[in-house]
Amino acid sequence: MTLFLQQLVNGVALGSVYALVALGLTLVYGVLKVPNFAHGALYMMAAYVVYVALTAVEAPYVVAIAAAIVAIGVLGGAMELVVFRHLEGKTPVHMMIAALGVLFFLEGTADVVWGPDFRPVPTPLDGVVSAFGVNITEQRILVIVAAVATMVGLYTLLKRTLVGMSIEALAQDREGALLVGIDTKRVALLTFAISGVLAAIAGSLIAPLVLVFPLMGAVVILKAFVIVILGGMGSVPGAIIGGYLLAIAETMAGTYVAFAFSELIAFALLVLVLVFRPTGLFTKGT
Amino acid sequence: MVGRKSVLLVAVALLAAGCGGGGDESDDGMVVVPFGFVGPLSGGAAYYGRNVLRGLEMAAEEIAANGGFVIDGQAHRFEVVTADDRYLPYETATATRRLLQQEQMSTILVPHAGGIRAVQEMNLNEPRFLLMAYSSEPSILEAQNPLQIMLPPRFDGYQEPFVRVLMGRFGTRLALLGTTTAYGRAWTEHVSAEWTRRGGTVGGNHGVDYNTTTDFTGAVSRALADDPDVLFIGGPSQPTALVIRAAREQGFQGGFLIMDQAKFMEMLQIVSMEALEGAVGVYPQELYPTEGTPGWVARYYERFGEDAPPATSEVAINYQGLHLLARAMEIAGTTEDPDAIRAAFGEAARTIDDDLRIFDMNGVTEGGHLARAVFAAHVLNGEFIAEPIPVPGGTELR
Amino acid sequence: MITRSVAIGVPLLAAILFPLVVDNAYLVSVAVTAYVTAIAVYGLDILLGYTGQLSLAHAGFFGVGGYAVGILTSDYGLSFWSALPLALALTALLGHLIGLAALRTRHDYFAIFTLAVGVMIVIVIERWESLTGGTDGLIGIPAPTSIGPLSFASLNAQYYLVLAFLVLTIYVVWALMHSLVGRTFLAVRNSEELARAVGIDTGRTHQLSFVISATLAALGGALYATFLGSIGPDVGDVPMTFNMLVYLMIGGVASLPGPLVGTILIMGLMQALTAFQEYSMMILGPILVLVVIFFPQGLAGQGRVLANKVLGRSGDA
Repeated sequence: MTLFLQQLVNGVALGSVYALVALGLTLVYGVLKVPNFAHGALYMMAAYVVYVALTAVEAPYVVAIAAAIVAIGVLGGAMELVVFRHLEGKTPVHMMIAALGVLFFLEGTADVVWGPDFRPVPTPLDGVVSAFGVNITEQRILVIVAAVATMVGLYTLLKRTLVGMSIEALAQDREGALLVGIDTKRVALLTFAISGVLAAIAGSLIAPLVLVFPLMGAVVILKAFVIVILGGMGSVPGAIIGGYLLAIAETMAGTYVAFAFSELIAFALLVLVLVFRPTGLFTKGT
Repeated sequence: MVGRKSVLLVAVALLAAGCGGGGDESDDGMVVVPFGFVGPLSGGAAYYGRNVLRGLEMAAEEIAANGGFVIDGQAHRFEVVTADDRYLPYETATATRRLLQQEQMSTILVPHAGGIRAVQEMNLNEPRFLLMAYSSEPSILEAQNPLQIMLPPRFDGYQEPFVRVLMGRFGTRLALLGTTTAYGRAWTEHVSAEWTRRGGTVGGNHGVDYNTTTDFTGAVSRALADDPDVLFIGGPSQPTALVIRAAREQGFQGGFLIMDQAKFMEMLQIVSMEALEGAVGVYPQELYPTEGTPGWVARYYERFGEDAPPATSEVAINYQGLHLLARAMEIAGTTEDPDAIRAAFGEAARTIDDDLRIFDMNGVTEGGHLARAVFAAHVLNGEFIAEPIPVPGGTELR
Repeated sequence: MITRSVAIGVPLLAAILFPLVVDNAYLVSVAVTAYVTAIAVYGLDILLGYTGQLSLAHAGFFGVGGYAVGILTSDYGLSFWSALPLALALTALLGHLIGLAALRTRHDYFAIFTLAVGVMIVIVIERWESLTGGTDGLIGIPAPTSIGPLSFASLNAQYYLVLAFLVLTIYVVWALMHSLVGRTFLAVRNSEELARAVGIDTGRTHQLSFVISATLAALGGALYATFLGSIGPDVGDVPMTFNMLVYLMIGGVASLPGPLVGTILIMGLMQALTAFQEYSMMILGPILVLVVIFFPQGLAGQGRVLANKVLGRSGDA
């Protein structure tokens, strides 16, 4: 039972990161129909910003996170401005190739600047909290709390602000949004920037727990795509629930079957679900 | 539109034409001898490949700075020529072919077992070359390749002292949490066998792939649920350190039996000496109790800067390997005949300068293994305690 | 007619003369790799260009074909000539079974479904060590045995054999696209509903396209394993699919020269960039973006538009 609880806590911490990455991806995918394979590279770049801020500049962790949010938010917006704005009306496959181009560029840049080394990031919060035989580090508590706060913030932004509502409007009906006078270009730019911010939060929260290296986004992004498809493209609750469910499923399968096979879970799950529900779990019929 | 496209095409053609080349005698009057390195320079294992390369380049520069090695009164120096195989054995063969096509060379070093096996037949056909094998996997000796020199210690020597020390200090229950690469699984089998042979019990295998796992806490929690006295862990140093950190965070008090792939000095960049208490692994290269070590460590940091990655055995063994090759070429009196150079390696190992003795060596075994004295390190009360490691498979030297 | 025979004859002659002119074993082996990859890229085009679905498991089938031939020849002692049809049949069957499930979905869902399939194929290859050699891969796969007086021991002979397979592939794709089946493919791509309305069994059409696509991938993979003498799990992995997709999009979808042009151009570029090893990805990335923005039809597609303009014809395929 202790093991079960411990693994549940581990799964929730991991799921927070999955959900944050999937949220950024699902926004861009759902609103702008861009399958952004470069999203994992934004997450990776955010981790490097935190690494540089904590080691070279020796800034406090809060400042490092803020720097990552600003830098990667801008980078996300720049991607829209420089690349995807010029691809409006092209097929998703064109978008995918452009995203791969951006991915290659960012991974290549990280490799040239920082090399292929695994970089450890100093842990600002290294205490451990124990209760009921379950151990959790303070950093992981921060991951969970900050992720939930981010999700609440995003939800408020989308439902309660004009910007958010225009994003949702664009997601539902592009031409309609244009007709009612929404500046679709500006909304597209904002959506990419918000997506970058979400990747930045995920990357800067996980950086002290893992190793930072140029390909660190590659595994996460594939799982994020699985989550987005299962949860429904553009669905915020779908990405959150999907993120947590997948992480917990992986951890539990690892515990009670074998960890060597837990990396299969995401993909097997996707195949099974799509065989029975070809348009995903949470789609409202298209 | 057409203009831009043809510019691209011309650029491609020019770039393609620009590759290749390489001369014989250089401005400094020394004959330049190309030395091939085929290993990972990009992708997940690039860090490892660049460690190996750092050792080779440091040696090549030193040899040149000291006036080169002399054959028939003529000074020679090495030029390290590289080809990236991304650690993929099936690319090693292609990359090796590319090197041989570009330039004639008598020696090529490959730093991983899969790649070594992939070129083991190739080096016996024209153009023949000496294969310097940097892998501690003893199975590479099974091919009995007459043009191969295995540089590092065999990994099957480590388990006996590792298990003896840890079982004696902590108890008889072992949990397995090594990486799931082919090398990691071979290690897992050997360590399980030795642990059982000494009367211990081995729990289930909870290993994960250290190169692709994001979060180790789940796997660590599972392994600790077996209540082990000792954890077998290991893969690249940095993820291994994360596993140690996760285990200590979850309250594990026992010992760590660490695969030779992970190096203490690299792990210490992530975890404290305190977290490593009760760990057994390969002895830190920078502290090796040999004559040549202090001078070599000083030269290493002088060359690569104080912030350089730690001077590990990956650097040391290949550094020494290239110096040995220069000595062997001197003895053989040729830079081109791989058979003669191979035959001279044993004598080279015995007669190399004292300040290059980072390891004590006294020859080469029948099967082409460079026998050297190596040590395990046991972290006891915050100190590295040296434990000698036996050389398995016989040491009849030539 | 004259332009067509020039368009076919000149590149073919250049390909035939290539190994004799360059006389460099390394460049010839690069060309062999490019040709076998191009064969698989034609398979990707059948599915994406002609029926409008993107399979991200394409490299997976490439890997299955390669491993099947490698295992049958080196472990079971079959000759290449009997192993090849077996490997193709096996992959076609696997493609058929996967297609039955995957083709319940369409478009983005289909792409991600096949992405999952691709990842699982690689995991199976890596874990089924006794059969596949695990992460080390298979090495020592024998070259094709002689047919009568034709020996394939030399690199140049292998080059010509691969070239023959490539020409055959291009011919098959051309013939297919000019057949009734090809026209149903295009009808389904343009509008599935319309196609159904005129009585086309769209499900069967997709299924057929998927199986042909997988089989061509397997042919490429089988030749790859045989002529490089080795194969590993990465060859079947998703990044390899991405590479093939890049070749196709740069060359141009639904255009007969597209896959070949894109593959040779980008693989040639990557070989040229080995001198700038570290920077190659930084350079390739922006090139891809520029090509997608400025040449959305791909370079071959763009060439066709230009040619049509010059010759004063309408730009229809």
